[in-house]
Amino acid sequence: MNTNNNVYTVIYTSIVVVIVAAVLAFVAAKLGPAQDANAKAETLRQMMSAAGIKPTEELYATGNADILQLYADNIEEAYTIGLDGEKNGELGTAKDNIQLVDKLKPQNKAIKAGGEATLPVYIFKGGKVVIPVYGAGLWGPVWGYIALEPDCRTIAGAYFDHEGETPGLGAKIKDEPWFREKFVGKTVEWGDTPAFRLEKNAEATGAANAVDAISGATMTSKGLNEALNVWFKAYEKSLGIGAFFHMLEEHASETTPNAEEE
Amino acid sequence: MAQKLKETILNPILKGNPITVLVLGICSALAVTVQLKGALVMALSVIVVTGLSSFVCSLLRNTIPNRVRIIVQLVVVAMMVILVDQILKAGEGTYAIDKQLSVYIGLIITNCIVMGRIEAFALGNKPIPSLLDGIANGVGYGLILVIVAFFRELFGSGTLLGFQVLPAAYVPNNLVILPPFALILIGCIIWVHRAIDKDLQEN
Repeated sequence: MNTNNNVYTVIYTSIVVVIVAAVLAFVAAKLGPAQDANAKAETLRQMMSAAGIKPTEELYATGNADILQLYADNIEEAYTIGLDGEKNGELGTAKDNIQLVDKLKPQNKAIKAGGEATLPVYIFKGGKVVIPVYGAGLWGPVWGYIALEPDCRTIAGAYFDHEGETPGLGAKIKDEPWFREKFVGKTVEWGDTPAFRLEKNAEATGAANAVDAISGATMTSKGLNEALNVWFKAYEKSLGIGAFFHMLEEHASETTPNAEEE
Repeated sequence: MAQKLKETILNPILKGNPITVLVLGICSALAVTVQLKGALVMALSVIVVTGLSSFVCSLLRNTIPNRVRIIVQLVVVAMMVILVDQILKAGEGTYAIDKQLSVYIGLIITNCIVMGRIEAFALGNKPIPSLLDGIANGVGYGLILVIVAFFRELFGSGTLLGFQVLPAAYVPNNLVILPPFALILIGCIIWVHRAIDKDLQEN
């Protein structure tokens, strides 16, 4: 048989491609649920790492089933808000309602378009508020979970992840614990533009809302900075006002007249 | 026959090692050898991919139209790599490693060893020897990966497979974690390999 015949070549390659596609589709369908369970547990690990439920290493050493249980034990409330700051949906705390990272992409678009958004808010027992951030890094999306103290202003913890940032450079946002630990104790300055600064030499200014960018990972840092600010802006009408009322309450409860709070 | 099979299996591991002699697959060898666990998973993935791709391509060798043979081989290799990636993602224990290896699992497609062995061996040999040749080349690659990762994790983090091995007083050497050190280490392995095997030395 002449294998260099045009018709033969076309038919042969078509059959090969169809067979390969069928095999891959079959495998993807078969393994989908297991991958989904892994992805859900991963999302929960990231959120709970940010919220400081357990140390990050411990969370990663815990099996999927125990992670779901740990989440169920610690979550207080989960709902979504619109750009106007009003609650517009319940997420519920059931484990079936866990929003995977791919849900954040359309939200990011909605924020930028100023349209209808359903931004998730997770409130853990003890009052810590966890919100996601999402944006574009150098090679793909970067995202993270920011946990705020009950005052809605001080950052209690953060966890960042990425799809394909350069290992050793941009990937440091996930791989290096010192990077996420830098965010602890910083504040989100609601109402300011920008509300948070992840920039070169930002820490030297002494500002409470500034963290140094990673050298060698300029584009990743810029992307993450934008992600933080775009999403903080989107949450401003809800959490920003929450932080404002919290400050008013603190003022009202001050008994000594000399004590000034900034 | 038995002699030839033995040659097929041992040659890629020793005299024709893909990394130290052919200097193929260096890029991933630099990237995934910071920790032993990642290197082991990567080595295993490459063994599976080289073995099965060579096997399938050898089965098809008489039917592949010559003009599009590279494309057909690439489709087969890509399928194997995606399968490995999907399986790693589905396993509860391997999910984190797959994320850590990130793009490098997908980049096995571009690993010269895989295509090189299909072109050089699988297209001219029967399926079983091709399977063994693919596996042996994967083992040859994996062996170097594990040796490099062993030293890098030991001196870069003071651990092996995540367990603390060196005393806590040991200050991890940050240079060891960086890719250039892997290149230095591979250079040393090539040096040792050539010193032992005089046949590899040029005049």
